[in-house]
Amino acid sequence: MDLSPASRDALSLPAPKRLVVSSLAIALLLNLLPWGGWALRAHPDFLLLVLLYWAAHEVRSIGQGWGFFFGLMMDVANSVLLGQHALTYVVAIFLVQLLRVRILQLTVFEQALHIGVVLLLSLVISVLLNLSLGRDFPGWGLLFAPFFGALLWPLVTWLAKLPMFRRRLGQLVR
Amino acid sequence: MSGYQEPFFTRGPSPLARLTFFSLAAITIMIADHRFQALSWVRLGVSVALNPIEQGLAMPGMTARRISNYFTDQTRLVTENRELQNQVLELTALGQQARLIQAERTHIDALAVTVAASKRLDWPGIIAEIIRDARNPYARKIILNRGTTHGITAGVAVIDGSGVVGQVTAVGLLSSEVTLSTEKDQPVPVMVVRNGLRAVAVGNGREGTIDVPFMPLGADIQSGDILVTSGIDGTYPAGLSVATVVQVEKNPAFPFAKVIAQPATAPDHHRFVKVLLRASPTAVGAVEAGTAATDYPITDVVSIERKTGVATITNLGKRETRRANQ
Repeated sequence: MDLSPASRDALSLPAPKRLVVSSLAIALLLNLLPWGGWALRAHPDFLLLVLLYWAAHEVRSIGQGWGFFFGLMMDVANSVLLGQHALTYVVAIFLVQLLRVRILQLTVFEQALHIGVVLLLSLVISVLLNLSLGRDFPGWGLLFAPFFGALLWPLVTWLAKLPMFRRRLGQLVR
Repeated sequence: MSGYQEPFFTRGPSPLARLTFFSLAAITIMIADHRFQALSWVRLGVSVALNPIEQGLAMPGMTARRISNYFTDQTRLVTENRELQNQVLELTALGQQARLIQAERTHIDALAVTVAASKRLDWPGIIAEIIRDARNPYARKIILNRGTTHGITAGVAVIDGSGVVGQVTAVGLLSSEVTLSTEKDQPVPVMVVRNGLRAVAVGNGREGTIDVPFMPLGADIQSGDILVTSGIDGTYPAGLSVATVVQVEKNPAFPFAKVIAQPATAPDHHRFVKVLLRASPTAVGAVEAGTAATDYPITDVVSIERKTGVATITNLGKRETRRANQ
């Protein structure tokens, strides 16, 4: 763990396990909604976004292993080649792990820019993978996904830091 | 505080080591899934866990659709009813003709000792409802509400009232996934009704059109020709509508004519489809024997060997069509 003064999370309490688990479950449910047509290409990957949030803020609990696990789950759910989401999730989480010290020094909106780039890179990997398998490019609407994902980052940050989620732990620890 | 004390330094492999490990694992899984289709049990297992959740999430949309169906206006119902009645009349006529033909055929077969050929029409099937589209932006697939518990296996054919819809490419316990015949590289062995010319209709990934590749320039095919399944692959029974030829371009600069056809069905318009369960092996053999016995001018353009989703077009260019899955 880095103890640079700028890393605001360095000395803060770990997030409650219950919050981590329930946020991931909700994100998974959002991903499992029957997206179709235009929204199918443009909807952000909620699960990846939440995974990246916890990868940045809770290095100890959420890492590449969880990304791999949830990625396989999304592969089955979206009926794509097995291992495809797993690979992109693992790479995205790795990038956030590399950048987290830098990211956490920035304001939430600057963080969102970085997350947007990470989401874009993971999208590029999945597109290249599918093109190499002989699929057609599904259209530029795909580019909205990382964009919307980056827009949601401040919201995720705000939600995860709401005092109602933190208070209970505070009382426990005292 | 002691209960929440975390180790001060991160331990275990470095992020880069983890990345290497997990990426290699993911790539191995991809190869196993793509090349060897070895991981269908993983799919089945996970889909068992996810299926009830997805059903629950799709519920509001389904309910809304049912309610809006309930309140459809009278006039639409009346027109629809009239159309259906007309269809019933047409089909009854056709059915009677078919019965006559079959009766004649059995008679002839009894003489020719190829009785099995008359079993051509015996393909059991079950009706399934289309629940939703699969969330896959790269290939259009539809999800049905019937799975292995209802006897569906990967590779079986799916049809609707007007013709071939596609082929089941993955099954869960209570749901299955159908790759449409308009999907890229999805082959259907066909024959021209007018003259019995054999060919393969291959999807191109665009809805509303289907290609018929490898037609020699001299082949007798023209706009307006109806393509039906030829039955030589054992997946689709013979005689189902597949498409109508809309455009034939014969350019001497190329060895093959460019033939574009319009699919017989549009799965957006229907809620129910029929899944044809695998017929008994003898019946499948009979289908092949039956078609070979007809005196159509067999051009031998293409011979198709199909297991679940793998098709090889052998005689021309040794082109291997990629697995239809995903």
